[in-house]
Amino acid sequence: MIRIGNASGFYGDRLSAMREQLEGGELDVLTGDYLAELTMLILGRDRMKDSSLGYAKTFLRQMEDCLALALDKGVKIVVNAGGLNPEGLARKLGAKVGYVTGDDLKARFPEALTANAYLGAWEIAECLDQGAQVVVTGRVTDASLVVGPAAAHFGWARDDWHRLAGATVAGHVLECGTQATGGNYSFFTEIDVTRPGFPIAEVDEDGSCLITKHDGTGGAVNVDTVTAQLLYEIGAPEYLGPDVTTHFDTIRLDPHERGVRISGTRGSPPPGTLKVCLNTLGGFRNSTTFVLTGLDVQQKADLVRRQLHDAIGEEGLTWTLARTDQRDAATEEQASALLHVTIKTTDPKRAKGFSRAAIELALASYPGFHVTAPPGDGTPFGVYQAAYVNRDEVSAKAVLL
Amino acid sequence: MKRPLGTIAGARSGDKGGDANLGVWVRSDEAFEWLNGFLTTEKLKELLPEAREVSRYELPNLKALNFVLHGLLGDGVASSTRFDPQAKALGEWLRSREVEIPEELL
Repeated sequence: MIRIGNASGFYGDRLSAMREQLEGGELDVLTGDYLAELTMLILGRDRMKDSSLGYAKTFLRQMEDCLALALDKGVKIVVNAGGLNPEGLARKLGAKVGYVTGDDLKARFPEALTANAYLGAWEIAECLDQGAQVVVTGRVTDASLVVGPAAAHFGWARDDWHRLAGATVAGHVLECGTQATGGNYSFFTEIDVTRPGFPIAEVDEDGSCLITKHDGTGGAVNVDTVTAQLLYEIGAPEYLGPDVTTHFDTIRLDPHERGVRISGTRGSPPPGTLKVCLNTLGGFRNSTTFVLTGLDVQQKADLVRRQLHDAIGEEGLTWTLARTDQRDAATEEQASALLHVTIKTTDPKRAKGFSRAAIELALASYPGFHVTAPPGDGTPFGVYQAAYVNRDEVSAKAVLL
Repeated sequence: MKRPLGTIAGARSGDKGGDANLGVWVRSDEAFEWLNGFLTTEKLKELLPEAREVSRYELPNLKALNFVLHGLLGDGVASSTRFDPQAKALGEWLRSREVEIPEELL
């Protein structure tokens, strides 16, 4: 059995989770997911400003705090915090570090701000086989962070489909951190979720696992919390990944005194293509929210809409009127509706001009004019697309420093 | 009797590019048998009128249904102008819709 913990479900997750997982009990490997589709865009913009960046900076802070502790306890660290620059991050860490590279396909998709293939588990396993204490990757599938260490530990073969599928399920449960332990859980009123602990998968040689968490931590691991996370961000029951196709309709969950046992998962060969996360710069956006209080809410909305169109034109504006107002209300807030407007435009000047146009209405519009927060200068926004490339067009590589 | 679906069902939702996914599960085999018959694609569209093209998948082993709401989020999270651009609360919206639930499941 190998104990694999998770200490991060996104770039911005609880900073102290790394220490909590290392100090809270026994572990063999500690993983962390830092990369969402949106995060790749954020890191892409970091990299535009400074080419030495492009990785998750919070992970570096966690390592400053915890690397010595992890080495001392013999816990290996496996994270995708490398983002767009795994080598740059790897070179900042004082340990035997391996990194995974080859996911960057910007040369193949030059029009994109970021273009990264979802790599799998085997380069992570290779780094660990070569003795890495820390492995940092760029874009790998979230589940690979768990599959890689399990495959290395047990010496699985690349066609051990059922084992790989079992570990993929463990990885899917872990990848969003506390969403497996009672965070964002429909039946939250039944448990104490004030400060949920981070999840751990005790993976067995056959790929089955026990989902648990350290003693004394908050939240809960039960069949319902695990079910909730299994349903997160999935499509058809055939869950396609770079290592294996995992059949979610074969997963079996059983309650256990320390959490939930997962078994029975079947796997089959993965597709011949790899998914690519593409982010392109779509333009600039800006938004504001007008508060419409009391009488004539619809007419107030019509007026401000007419005025803003008159000032900057209708193109690229999206309006929604939320009728949160109640009749004859006892508080001003309950008497108010919210009119949201967003502009999306390729012209940064127009995104900025939107703010001035909205604020210039302040003394010239509907009675009771105010906004929830003044609009800013506007920000660039990305457009996400998935693309697919043949496996042989991607050369993933494990590098040991 | 008419009660919020969330009285007996849990849900979790999120984004995959411009699509949203919405998983719904219940806690007994009897409840799943009812849910599976009740929550068709048509019924989901009726409860969430914003839904357009919907794929529906059954996961009886998890007592769950998974829906993919295609195109709900436009060009993806960073670009979406939808209230709740990542569809995080789509599931909680569905749970709050009042539906006819058999008395014995309550």
